Amino acid sequence: MISFLILIGIVICFSAILALALNFQWGLGGMVNFGLTGFYALGAYAAALLMLKAGANTFVAAVGAMAVVAAVCGLVAFVTLRVTEEDYFAIVTLGVGEMLRLVALNEDWLTKGALGLTGVPRPFGAAIAPEYYQYFLLALALALLLATLWFLDRLARSPFGRLVRAVREDDVVAATLGKNVLWARVRIFAIGGGIIGLAGSLHGFYYQYIDPTQFSNIVLAYAFMAVIAGGRGAHRGAILGAAAVMLLLEGSRFLKDVIPALDSDQLAAIRIIIIGAGLILLLIYRPRGFFREYRLRVDFK
Amino acid sequence: MLQTAFNGVVTGVIMALPALAVTLLFGVLKFPNFAVGAMMTVAAYLAFALNAQLGWPLAAAAVAAALAMGALCVGIDHLTFRPLRERGAITLMVASLGLGFILENVARFAYGNSARSFAIELARPFRVADVRMNYEQMITIAVSSAAMIAMYVLLTRLPMGRAMRAVADNPSLALVRGIESPRVIRWTWFLAGILLALGGVLIGMDRALEPPMGSNYLISVFAAAIFGGLGSPLGAFVGALVIGLVSELSTLVMAPNYRIGVPLVAIAVILVFRPQGLFGQPYIRK
Amino acid sequence: MDRKRRRIIQSLGATTAATLGAPYLNLAHGQGAPIPIGVALPLTGNAGAYGPDMAEAAKRTAEKINSGGGILGGRKLELHIEDSESSAAVAANLSHKFINVHKAQSLLGYWGTPEGMSSRPIAVQNKVVLMVSSAANAITEGDTQGYVWRFQMKATDWGTVISRAALKLGFKSVGILGLQNAFVLPIQRVFEEQMKANGRKVLDSLIYNPEQPSYRAEVERVFGKKPEAVYCFGLLPDFVSIMKEVYRGGFDSKVVALSIMADAEGKFVQAVGNKVAEGIRHFQPMPDVAAPGYKKFLKLMGAPADRVFLFPPNTHDQIAITALAMEKAKSPMAADWSKQIIAVGNGPGQEVDDVVEALKLVRAGKPVNFQGAGSTCDFTPNGDQLGRGMGQWIIRNGKSEFVEYAKP
Repeated sequence: MISFLILIGIVICFSAILALALNFQWGLGGMVNFGLTGFYALGAYAAALLMLKAGANTFVAAVGAMAVVAAVCGLVAFVTLRVTEEDYFAIVTLGVGEMLRLVALNEDWLTKGALGLTGVPRPFGAAIAPEYYQYFLLALALALLLATLWFLDRLARSPFGRLVRAVREDDVVAATLGKNVLWARVRIFAIGGGIIGLAGSLHGFYYQYIDPTQFSNIVLAYAFMAVIAGGRGAHRGAILGAAAVMLLLEGSRFLKDVIPALDSDQLAAIRIIIIGAGLILLLIYRPRGFFREYRLRVDFK
Repeated sequence: MLQTAFNGVVTGVIMALPALAVTLLFGVLKFPNFAVGAMMTVAAYLAFALNAQLGWPLAAAAVAAALAMGALCVGIDHLTFRPLRERGAITLMVASLGLGFILENVARFAYGNSARSFAIELARPFRVADVRMNYEQMITIAVSSAAMIAMYVLLTRLPMGRAMRAVADNPSLALVRGIESPRVIRWTWFLAGILLALGGVLIGMDRALEPPMGSNYLISVFAAAIFGGLGSPLGAFVGALVIGLVSELSTLVMAPNYRIGVPLVAIAVILVFRPQGLFGQPYIRK
Repeated sequence: MDRKRRRIIQSLGATTAATLGAPYLNLAHGQGAPIPIGVALPLTGNAGAYGPDMAEAAKRTAEKINSGGGILGGRKLELHIEDSESSAAVAANLSHKFINVHKAQSLLGYWGTPEGMSSRPIAVQNKVVLMVSSAANAITEGDTQGYVWRFQMKATDWGTVISRAALKLGFKSVGILGLQNAFVLPIQRVFEEQMKANGRKVLDSLIYNPEQPSYRAEVERVFGKKPEAVYCFGLLPDFVSIMKEVYRGGFDSKVVALSIMADAEGKFVQAVGNKVAEGIRHFQPMPDVAAPGYKKFLKLMGAPADRVFLFPPNTHDQIAITALAMEKAKSPMAADWSKQIIAVGNGPGQEVDDVVEALKLVRAGKPVNFQGAGSTCDFTPNGDQLGRGMGQWIIRNGKSEFVEYAKP
């Protein structure tokens, strides 16, 4: 039983890192990322391929995955926002995310297509006995989560953090004050992308096997739910939001015992309906979620 | 080649109705609605319930589903988007994402994941100048064109249509001129619901009914609306035809499994060379 | 991430450990601790239709072994049956649970390719035997250290049988439409190679994605070249849309598919109608229904003599081989008994089709060659199963009629 709680703990950690990334892009930076699932898959694949094809060690692979996702995110933001508005940006991210998933599915020579990549190496996989490995992985995931939190907290308090919020609240004012809004947005999206890449690498370390079906669009719903529940812009909120979404899912699982007539498709459907409804209700009734953004003293409309 | 072009036209015509709905909704409400795919799915299953389960003819089922969907959309807007109207486009987009998840999974809950079909006789095709066509494609083209013409008349000739366009062009000016925007919004949703329902039924006729049937079209439909110019009804129609045609023709020269790249490239090209779309007004930020 | 989360919780929530053997506790058979076995089956989800019969087969087989005296001096088999939801992540979490919580040395079931693929590294790392029912070649490829065993025809063998049948049917030109899917692609590759090697024309061979808005372009490209037959390898939902398109497009190439697409417990005909389905041939691996081992299995299941079970006989064989190999190795540890699987499955030795009799012989130190219910239980050194064949059916008036049974 203990080992299962540990496994859940690991999953919560990398879900929380993903939620932090979305929180930074959307909650702080005001840039909607509907291609989150695709970027997450990109991170997982990039790390795995760096190890399997290029022989990189796990540390280099994770850093490389962060760089790859950051670069792709930055490029998408740069190309799109140079010519257009946020409305279009959401659509473009949706399309790019979908495209990334198709590449993972179709480029056999690189990703092994639908078969997926097996034998993804893990940090110190050979040095630590399998029966203790999950303790180590939990410690590692937790450490990375805390490190991400620390990094984002510092960033939010830095001058760049103020710029990020300024751009979100009113980019025209920010531009008038002589800030390069486009460049700021590209950086926001790229930094978020780097964190997504980290979450993706952890995903690979945990499962040691990645295939395209693991990256369905429901990931997107859960991440948005975690951020909205936690309160846009609030880092600790996003982490608690990710944990809370898991609890909600766990709760819904018991429906199977209460209503035996439901099959798993229906159960899965109910779970997503709950998520969707929760998302809308929170937006309407608790727009700031359950946590406040750091150091936000002025009340915005 | 000719056959592929014809197939492309059919694909485009199927996408025209949802693209028009997207463009109407964007014009009046000023945010891209990501629930439109799931709305088509729900409407298609409504028609399926009436047609395959209660034995109605498909035409009657489609009309009933369209009216029901129109009403449903008005109700949905009242419950979900109205309270968020002042919160900005991004919040509304995220809400529409959540709504899409709800609607698609309501359909999945009711009918499961397996593929279903309307109770209609499938027929073999006939040939015109060596191009194979079938009756369902004729119906698709007829329904879609009729809906487009009706929409055009409505938007240009009737007072409500003019009010919608006025709100789309400039909401504050429209308000000054005494146009009641809540009423306009209700009508926009009603019309969009009808268009989406018809689109859903046409997609269901074209392939099989499955929960993701509508959202699979989401990127293409948005691309069509953006290409034509968000907010421009004529643009939506032309955009849909272009995207449909190019998507099908692309399979002659490249692997068909990257067809989804065509709408993406279309978005990229139009944004670089003509950000307001083919028929769109230059977008002025407020 | 949704999957991971759901799956893990799944493993926590639905702990339906079917403890077998306990009611039959008989002191005469010794009092060693029960031997835990993890069974991951698709009880719900896409393959949900197949799981319950497999679970029943597992229970009855274990019961039979336990009431026949158990193994290793009277120890009972204790099954932990759980739902894999036909998903990679659930299966991975279940495997962790079987190994860490239940201390199982044998993991079996694993119907689909994703389940097998995601559990393989876990099994190898923990030195535990994994027995799968999935077809994709990759599951047993590479170094499995003797821990991964397939109780199913591998996908390339499906391709061999299907292409041999195509040669027999005399098609001179074929087209191929395949879904981008791990177990479909090897079938498609072998089929294409065999057709070309035998001088048949492959006019086009296309791969499509799951959940496409439409399949018009693919159908147009492949059927438009007017091959005599088009071979479709995919799943039910895409096949429904494809066949509607084919019929309305006026194409008249013959269509050949897999039974999970064109039969699927009648769901296909229900979705497209008799006219569209008429004349479609479909293939599926199945046990040799004439084999005595299969007949014994029917009795064990209490099923009528004409019942065709596609997958449950494999589950029976997985448990039987586990028990026999453990008995032969005189150890419940996979590191020991995994080396005896070929000895009891391939022989040489006396051919036995009853697991309890076989256990008696092994205990007596005699060599056996176990003949299973789903196959003859012969394996290659790398864990692939030999000796299983495929059934062929043709749809007439909305009903699937049996054509023939063939081995690769």
